Amino acid sequence: MKNERRVRQARKIRVDSGLNKDMQAKLVILFILVLLAFAGLSVKLISITRDNGEQYKKQVLSQQKYNSVTLPYKRGDILDCKGNKLATSEKVYNMIVDAKVMLDKDESLEETMAALRDCFPSLDISSIRNHVTENPTSQYYIVAKRLTYDEISKFVEMDNDNETYPNIAGVWFEDEYKRIYPNNTLASDVLGFTVKGEGGQYGLEQYYNSVLEGTNGRDYGYLNEDETLERTTIPATDGYNIVTTIDANVQQIIEKYLYEFNENNKNAVRDGNGANNLGCIIMDVNSGEILGMASYPTFNLNDPRDTSRLIGMKECDLKGNIAYDATVLTEENIAEELADEELKNANLANLWKNFCISNTYEPGSTYKPFTVACGLESGKLTGEEYYTCNGSLPVANHNIKCHNYKKGGCGTLSVLGAVENSCNVSLMLMGRQIGASTFLEYQNKYNFGLKTNIDLYGESRTDTLVFTGDSMGETELATSTFGQGFNVTMIQMITGFCSLINGGYYYEPHMVSKITAADGSTVKTISPRVLKQTISAQTSNQIVEYCVGVVKEGTGKTARPAGYMIGGKTGTAETVPRDRTNYVLSFMGFAPADNPQIAIYVVVDRPNSWVQDNVGFATRLCRSILTEVLPYMNIYMTEELSEKEEQELAELNITVKRANVEEELTEEEATDSPDLDENGNVNAHGGDVTSSTQVTQEEMNSDDVETAPLTGTVLNMETGDAVKEETNEIPY
Amino acid sequence: MRFRTDENQTEKPYIDYSMIFVVLFLVCFGLIMVYSTSSYEASMSTLTDNDPAYYLKKQLFATVVGLVFMVIAAIIPYHFYERISFTSYLVSLVLIGLVMTPLGYSANGARRWLRIGISVQPAEIAKLTIILLSAGMICKLKENVNSWKGTGIAILPAAIAALMVWQITDNMSSAIIIGGISVMMIFIASKDYKRFIIMAVAVVAFAALMVFVIQKAAGSGKFGFRGARILAWLDPEAYASGKGFQTLQALYAIGSGGIFGKGLGQSIQKQGFLPEAQNDMIFSIICEELGLFGGICIILLFIILLWRMMIVANNAKDLYGAMLVVGVMSHIAIQVVLNIAVVTNTIPNTGISLPFISYGGSSVMFLLIEIGLVINVARSIKF
Repeated sequence: MKNERRVRQARKIRVDSGLNKDMQAKLVILFILVLLAFAGLSVKLISITRDNGEQYKKQVLSQQKYNSVTLPYKRGDILDCKGNKLATSEKVYNMIVDAKVMLDKDESLEETMAALRDCFPSLDISSIRNHVTENPTSQYYIVAKRLTYDEISKFVEMDNDNETYPNIAGVWFEDEYKRIYPNNTLASDVLGFTVKGEGGQYGLEQYYNSVLEGTNGRDYGYLNEDETLERTTIPATDGYNIVTTIDANVQQIIEKYLYEFNENNKNAVRDGNGANNLGCIIMDVNSGEILGMASYPTFNLNDPRDTSRLIGMKECDLKGNIAYDATVLTEENIAEELADEELKNANLANLWKNFCISNTYEPGSTYKPFTVACGLESGKLTGEEYYTCNGSLPVANHNIKCHNYKKGGCGTLSVLGAVENSCNVSLMLMGRQIGASTFLEYQNKYNFGLKTNIDLYGESRTDTLVFTGDSMGETELATSTFGQGFNVTMIQMITGFCSLINGGYYYEPHMVSKITAADGSTVKTISPRVLKQTISAQTSNQIVEYCVGVVKEGTGKTARPAGYMIGGKTGTAETVPRDRTNYVLSFMGFAPADNPQIAIYVVVDRPNSWVQDNVGFATRLCRSILTEVLPYMNIYMTEELSEKEEQELAELNITVKRANVEEELTEEEATDSPDLDENGNVNAHGGDVTSSTQVTQEEMNSDDVETAPLTGTVLNMETGDAVKEETNEIPY
Repeated sequence: MRFRTDENQTEKPYIDYSMIFVVLFLVCFGLIMVYSTSSYEASMSTLTDNDPAYYLKKQLFATVVGLVFMVIAAIIPYHFYERISFTSYLVSLVLIGLVMTPLGYSANGARRWLRIGISVQPAEIAKLTIILLSAGMICKLKENVNSWKGTGIAILPAAIAALMVWQITDNMSSAIIIGGISVMMIFIASKDYKRFIIMAVAVVAFAALMVFVIQKAAGSGKFGFRGARILAWLDPEAYASGKGFQTLQALYAIGSGGIFGKGLGQSIQKQGFLPEAQNDMIFSIICEELGLFGGICIILLFIILLWRMMIVANNAKDLYGAMLVVGVMSHIAIQVVLNIAVVTNTIPNTGISLPFISYGGSSVMFLLIEIGLVINVARSIKF
């Protein structure tokens, strides 16, 4: 029954058959409508191709170039002479979130967020989550910048562990390099720093920027002749490393004592640093290589814009000039004083610049050896002259005083005595003998007024800061003989001084000895360059003699480090305005006395003290530095040690080193040494001296014998007490 | 006891080979294009295990399953579907509702899929069940379909399904297709023209009004992402980095292909510029690789397919069979026209896939089942 009904039903449907005529017509109409739609779309397709084809073809090709990835290069390292890294570049990682990938699986978001929270406690997880949920199609969102490998390694491990964490997705890391200065403040003025996108700023970083910089690589696609896309990778070329002549240990010793000086003297009579500026350069006398160069205040190379480093400095104006009565920046006032961004930048620039090469000042009495050398070399002086100082000398309309003015002058002095006592009157009298034209000729030979061309960014020009034949009158000549009236930079002074004591060879000062490629191969070796001969070897020996006298008997006694004899010259220069309150103290010396190997120049610019004109500020600082630097450089001690000195060395953990020969002879010498000291000829060992520096030492010894009569003890005895304080009286 | 009619016993069933050939050609061509468009991105992404054939494999699996179902659908006498049509319609509504439960999951930022063993898009099932149900209802309503009331009753199931698809899965394009299928079937079945012209004019007028309002309110963001899409449609270059990006890149692909294209597999746009080129925008890559020529050939193939379906519908032995074919024909016609219209920026961007060619397992599977229905109806044509 059921089946029958079904058949009937089927028949019934079959009877009313399919579509009737109307319906068929309507279907045809529908089909025609669809055809029309297709025709319209085809026309649209054709018109796109015809009207915009060429434009779109170009558009497609031009879009291709964006599809390239920059592969960052590694900026070269800066190494010290022993291979220690002073500046290096470390690979760091930017964290990128790809929201699209992260949302692809429902579980991914939560699991990835949990992993991120776990591995990066400092990340703001909720803001990442917000970004991902609000921009579900974004594929490149930088969440964190410059993470180290250690920071990301835990997450990378979790991400790679597909069994425990199968759903971590949508986070990847982009490579970048970050400049790192492992010693933070060490050699900050010398090294300079880098600013992203602008390369090196200041110091070696800027001077050698093109050497340190490499070339970015590129991973890019291009179209071949069939207009199909191919991809090519050009690897990045890393920058070259530079090996400097700086010895990080020497540098550290210098900076330690500059810091200590500041700690001992800051806020002494006024708020602020122990001195406006402190500078120190140690140089290899026989090559012009800089072993250490530092100034104070320093800054952290890893955070150069840290304004807390400015505290204690005097505020400069927008042009970088510091007024005589400038405000001292303190913790309390710094925010207010430097609210102006431009002013803040000017003050930071003042901090960043290298005092040793950028600041100019009047050298004072440290210039006296230059004057004497000029006189001797030119033949205007014989070295046999004697001068009488009554405390002052009338020059033109002025009466220029000597520092011993109140004591009635220095009395009668030989040339040696004049240098030892830093007698201005004697020097002015020498100046009269020398004459302005010869004086200026030699000043130019010593390179004053010219750049030394040291390989550091920011060396000052001094061409307008020295006298010329036209501008130098009688008074100018007189003051110039003792280093007042014209301006110099520290690097000019020490480079010129090296030539005075090394036999007359003027070496171009330099910081970099070698350029190496990333693979370690040497690209270029920079050898010492002698630019000129300033004076003869004979005159040079004479100057060495005088400078040793200064330390032995004269104003520089307090500069002598325990166990060594050194030579040098002190300087106390009055600054403008000439109100006899502000002074630049300096000591310029060499060691050891018998065979100069290193030269040192210490400048204390306006110490924080009631009485500034005390050169002891500079000599004592120099002594502290040399006490550690000389033993470190394996220079043998030659002098007897007092109990106090032995105790001092023991406290510094310095072992006493002497030449083997001397050690063997210790017992014999024990009785001889007092005689040696009295003679003043420390190194009169004749042929006994050995060691690598034998040849020069022998030369020196023979010179000592020749010049012995000049270092007559009688004259030295007359000036008995070393003058620790000297004053240059300037009439204007 | 015999179920089959006398005619079928004596005559060989009619098989529309030309239609089957066109379908198989489109399916195979689709697989090639899915591979061509997806292999670059698939090989670059860890989500697809860097397997260039990742999408091809999934599509091939769905196609094979679909072909099996197509044969089954072609063999079972089609009046069986009339009996299960209401049940299957209810099931499809339930499935749409299930998207809201944890069974549902989202991809590409939209929650439209169900994971029940395999992942399916309930909207695709709804399109099939609407065809089955509407055909039956039209047969039952007979002459009543000519009245406004009858039309309302006939359109009701489609309206409910469309509303659910739109509101629950936020998939307006599928809702439009479901509604469109139903309206076209009723149009064929009724005698009236006027009513449909009024409806068409009303729809066009409403759309124009909306576009006008949105254009006036540009920048206020009041109309959400759909408003933004309409603004991007009016001036894709102005929204080149946002909503207009995909459209503009598709136009670049079409325009840069020229007349004969860059050659199969040589598309540049698929390499990252046109994201997910294997989906809705696949037609633009066809134009880029095979040129205007290739694109128009595909249009011609669809025309042939629709023409064969029209022949089958006009010769179907009964109204139910004819209406099934009209439903399938409407479905394919709407989707192809809208897809190409989107790709050429003739209408605002909305997610409509190109039948048989775009990547999408549910879509190709249910389309093949629909083809099975047409073959089924064709088999019983009496000459």
